[in-house]
Amino acid sequence: MSQDRVSSGIWLLVSGTLALASLQYNLGTLSSPGSGFLPFLSALAMGAFSLAGFIHASVRKNGGGEGVPILKGVRWEKAFIVLASLFLYGWLLGVLGFVLCTFLFLAFLLRAVAPQKWAWVVGGSFLITAASYLVFEVLLKAQMPKGVWGF
Amino acid sequence: MDFLHSAAMGFELAFQPMNFLFCFIGVLLGTLVGVLPGLGPVAAMSLLLPVTFNIPPIAAIIVLSGIYYGSMYGGSTTSILVNIPGEAASVITCLDGYQMARQGRAGPALGIAAFGSFIAGTLSILGLMFLGPFLAAGALKFGPPEYFSVMILGMTVLTFLSSGPMWKALLMAAFGLFLSTIGMDNVSGTARLSMNIEELIDGIGLVPVVMGLFGISEVMLNVESSLKRSIVETKITHLLPNLKEWGASLGPILRGTGIGFFLGILPGAGAIISSFASYAVEKKLSRHPEKFGTGAIEGVAGPESANNAASGGAFIPLLSLGIPSNAVTALLLGALIIHGIQPGPLLISKHPEIFWGTVASMYLGNILLLVLNLPLIGIWVKVLKVPYPVLFPLILLFCLIGAYSLNSSIIDITIMNLFGLLGYFFRKLRYEAAPLVLALVLGPMMENSLRQSLLLSAGSPLIFLNRPISAVILIVAVLLLAFPLMPWFRGKRPAFGDSP
Repeated sequence: MSQDRVSSGIWLLVSGTLALASLQYNLGTLSSPGSGFLPFLSALAMGAFSLAGFIHASVRKNGGGEGVPILKGVRWEKAFIVLASLFLYGWLLGVLGFVLCTFLFLAFLLRAVAPQKWAWVVGGSFLITAASYLVFEVLLKAQMPKGVWGF
Repeated sequence: MDFLHSAAMGFELAFQPMNFLFCFIGVLLGTLVGVLPGLGPVAAMSLLLPVTFNIPPIAAIIVLSGIYYGSMYGGSTTSILVNIPGEAASVITCLDGYQMARQGRAGPALGIAAFGSFIAGTLSILGLMFLGPFLAAGALKFGPPEYFSVMILGMTVLTFLSSGPMWKALLMAAFGLFLSTIGMDNVSGTARLSMNIEELIDGIGLVPVVMGLFGISEVMLNVESSLKRSIVETKITHLLPNLKEWGASLGPILRGTGIGFFLGILPGAGAIISSFASYAVEKKLSRHPEKFGTGAIEGVAGPESANNAASGGAFIPLLSLGIPSNAVTALLLGALIIHGIQPGPLLISKHPEIFWGTVASMYLGNILLLVLNLPLIGIWVKVLKVPYPVLFPLILLFCLIGAYSLNSSIIDITIMNLFGLLGYFFRKLRYEAAPLVLALVLGPMMENSLRQSLLLSAGSPLIFLNRPISAVILIVAVLLLAFPLMPWFRGKRPAFGDSP
């Protein structure tokens, strides 16, 4: 099945779910629209456009978009390593604190995605962490979280 | 007299040491952002937005604006030297700019891009000075139906100009509109769709969404493919174009300025379309259209002027109507609101210092860019040589810090990451993120206008057609939507890539 057909089908499901979620709020009337009015209307619009997309993709010669899987021919695992590290950073930030979390995050990326020499991994991560601490915490007073070690 | 007095006040503000410094920082960062592929003005402004909370509003707007028009200057450098556009508005510059560089004419290409940008930027600011107050005065006659129609037109223009099938762009706009309704409903006080997450009661923040969609997804796409850059290894000399080159470029620069300025005013259009439109016009007008794509200086001068003029034009709907025309001006709108300034027709009369100070700083910024950029080209080339594996962790770190420091909330980091993942798939499947961002910003204003209009008309949607200004605007929007359905128009709709 083509990319457009699959993606528009997914969007159709998403819009249905969002429309149902909007129904728990008061839709109101045309003369006095309630808080659920626009969410419901926009979810319906999403549904209509995704249906149009599904039909469009179905009637087209090649079925809309290439049939090639979107992750084929690329090193997608690297992209997902990056994403996982971002989620992990958010998860650990409150526990480890800004300084340690940032150092580990940078070292991991510098080593795991496009492996650099260890000296640069450790030294570079240390330098960037120190510089970002100075700029954001000390100069700009951004109040980054402190871990159990107090930094 | 009033005009001169206001302009003088603007320059007085712009020359204050603090504002001057922020203007300098803004244009310098903007150029750097423009030079670096993979970090666009939207992501950079999102990163810096939280930093501007601690500075006066005028300085915040000056520095953020500087990043915007500065990036338009810087974008050409990578297009010319590396054949990779620093930002989307410089895509078309690659065609002739890179060919010029390969022929050993990198200097004149970079020079004419800088001079063209300067001329266009300055002329568009003049236009902003004259048209802004005029349009704001007219906009005082606008009521909720007119505002609603203008916003519908803005979204329609953006979807019309998006690449790929129109249903995808419209779907993205509808999704953005839905996202904008998350959080407290201002009328009833109901917390909508917030899933009992306290942070979502204030709604989904624009900054994490934009950083995710544009910044994180860009990095994800870059790391999965080897981004090899081959910088033209030639000595960059003769930055000042000669008389012949000036002769060939002057017309394209002036035409590009006009095209860019007027397209920039249109909500939803902007720098990208104007650079493409300028290139198309120059090719059409040229006696030697076959030379385009092989190193024609007109192909650099026109588009580079157009995208700078468009960045000036984009300020007009923002500062005079309070309506952003693209994701960058949407961020500026957010910055104004965060600083307690309500954008709209009354901005110029209530906060003249913001309007005139920003306009005057743009003059200074343009001069600074010209003075800075030509001598600094060597440094920008060195920056380009920083390997991407070293650069991308820094970009990600800035995104993380930027998202967190908005509200000191981990939820914002999670939102950014989720939109990074969404943005990654959007790009893979050719769904454009720009309509989503514009709808997310316009959503609350649209909802208010829609509800007020329906209240005014006792529930009759005909109010949008009964009022002449609103009706005309809506008819234009409907025509734009109908165009792609016309058989003769199919396949001719221009595609301008995924960018604000």
